[in-house]
Amino acid sequence: MDLNTVKYLADLSKLEYTDEKLAKTAGEMTSIMELMDTIKDIDISYDAHLDNHNVFLDGLRRDDVMPSMPTEKVLSNAVNSKNCFVVPKVVE
Amino acid sequence: MDISTMTVHQLRAALDNKELSAKEAAQSYFDRIEKYDSELDCYITVTKEKAMQQAEKAQARIDAGEAAPLTGIPMAIKDNICTEGVKTTCSSNILENFIPPYNATAMEKLDAQDIVMLGKVSMDEFAMGGSTQTSAFKKTKNPYDKACVPGGSSGGSAAAVSADLCAAALGSDTGGSIRQPAAFCGVTGIKPTYGRVSRFGLVAFASSLDQIGPVAKDSLDCGIILNAICGNDHHDRTTSLEAVPDFTAKIGKGLKGMKIAVPAEFFAEGIDEEVRKAVLKAADDYKAMGCELVECSMPSLKYAIPCYYILACAEAASNLSRYDGIKYGHRTAAQAESYEELIIKSRSEGFGDEVKRRILLGNYCLSSGYYDAYYRKALALRQLIRKEYNDIFEKCDVILTPTTPSVAYRPDEKVDDPVKMYQADICTVTVNIAGLPAASTTCGYNDKGMPIGMSVIGRRFDEATILQVTGAFENGFKTVKPRL
Repeated sequence: MDLNTVKYLADLSKLEYTDEKLAKTAGEMTSIMELMDTIKDIDISYDAHLDNHNVFLDGLRRDDVMPSMPTEKVLSNAVNSKNCFVVPKVVE
Repeated sequence: MDISTMTVHQLRAALDNKELSAKEAAQSYFDRIEKYDSELDCYITVTKEKAMQQAEKAQARIDAGEAAPLTGIPMAIKDNICTEGVKTTCSSNILENFIPPYNATAMEKLDAQDIVMLGKVSMDEFAMGGSTQTSAFKKTKNPYDKACVPGGSSGGSAAAVSADLCAAALGSDTGGSIRQPAAFCGVTGIKPTYGRVSRFGLVAFASSLDQIGPVAKDSLDCGIILNAICGNDHHDRTTSLEAVPDFTAKIGKGLKGMKIAVPAEFFAEGIDEEVRKAVLKAADDYKAMGCELVECSMPSLKYAIPCYYILACAEAASNLSRYDGIKYGHRTAAQAESYEELIIKSRSEGFGDEVKRRILLGNYCLSSGYYDAYYRKALALRQLIRKEYNDIFEKCDVILTPTTPSVAYRPDEKVDDPVKMYQADICTVTVNIAGLPAASTTCGYNDKGMPIGMSVIGRRFDEATILQVTGAFENGFKTVKPRL
């Protein structure tokens, strides 16, 4: 896998690498994809119907209003919170 | 009375007969944790104060004659299962300080029986690995040889049970993460049928594959814990409405007439001779118990590793996109100029190398131009693997395979080579791909005394027969404890 592809995947994945780490990762990804490519040897098609015929919609729970988690608990793990989630300025 | 070596069912009897108290039982494990855990690195968090309060509550219930099967039993919990008010790190820097505001359903069910939680045990980061060496905090050692890995990802759970640092533990299994460490550490573990146990509160890795299950000293203990944690849950729509039987009911019953399939591909090249011999010897033992051995084949096994890693990593890439450093989890201390930069820096600092590799692999297989060639093809293979299992179960009751291709190894033999690590999962991943239940128990030891595990795979929702089969073997097998 070339460096540009790995860089593109890293951007998609919201990850950043140093140049040295990117080169190492490209080498590892090449070896991993060689292993993944063995599935190309088999000629087989996916039958979506087979996986989805068994979906039951009659056992759904009623749409009742339930108590929500208190704001204090929801924010308890946020590093920067002032009774809300705080992020850097998005709009200038 | 050596409390720490007792099984859950032995502890139950001792607690109910007032031969010991819940506090004494808990204290005996804390003494061992203090003495041995600095060498083994099983526990990320020890919750002694909370445990002693739980023991007091459990004792009151026992004294009132209202004990449930797990009341007062000291257990360890894998650190990817949410425990309200107790840190749940997933062995990742990104969740280093995460304290869940709620319990996982499995944890709620254990709490309802008043277990005593000794603490949270280590694992591979986000359950991605088979060695517990990708943990950001505790790289657990194998109690049989501290130079070797305990397996993974539930390595902390298996090592803690093996070393008597808890009576039993909860683990989770996405591609073998209960069975493989159970095999490496000489204990018993079962991955339930997909849908048996709620995944609510289990930190998500690959949602179509993940299941919580027990790691314990024997099959009876596994059944007792399964009885407690299974069942439909309105928080998890993938949990089954299937009736939950008593999983211990068949243990102790004879195996005469039971048909056990032995698929040739699981004993082929790549499986160490000592492992092959030990599992085939177990097959002979089953024959001597009156079972019929059935030859069978699973040709799709050669595609199992790529199929599993494509599906698991695709789901992981999606699941782990929630970590943004804003709502919870690690947030970069660096000055981020934008929302995007904040997320990128937080994720890059928080995730370890293996987790990052799997996110990249998942996004590659899902990306435009590659989706059909990889992800859709893996979905097709999943259907083929399920069909081959269905065909095998037409002519047998259970399937017997090795749990691992080798015994536990030293970290430097494999851990730095992702391809070697992935290939080592060959014996376990098809069970998760097909959503089947399977248990691993010890069937022998190699010439260095390292445990060898065998797996018994059952039909969907037939965990009771699996435990009957593994329990029958354990009944005539002499286990050798690790010497710490």
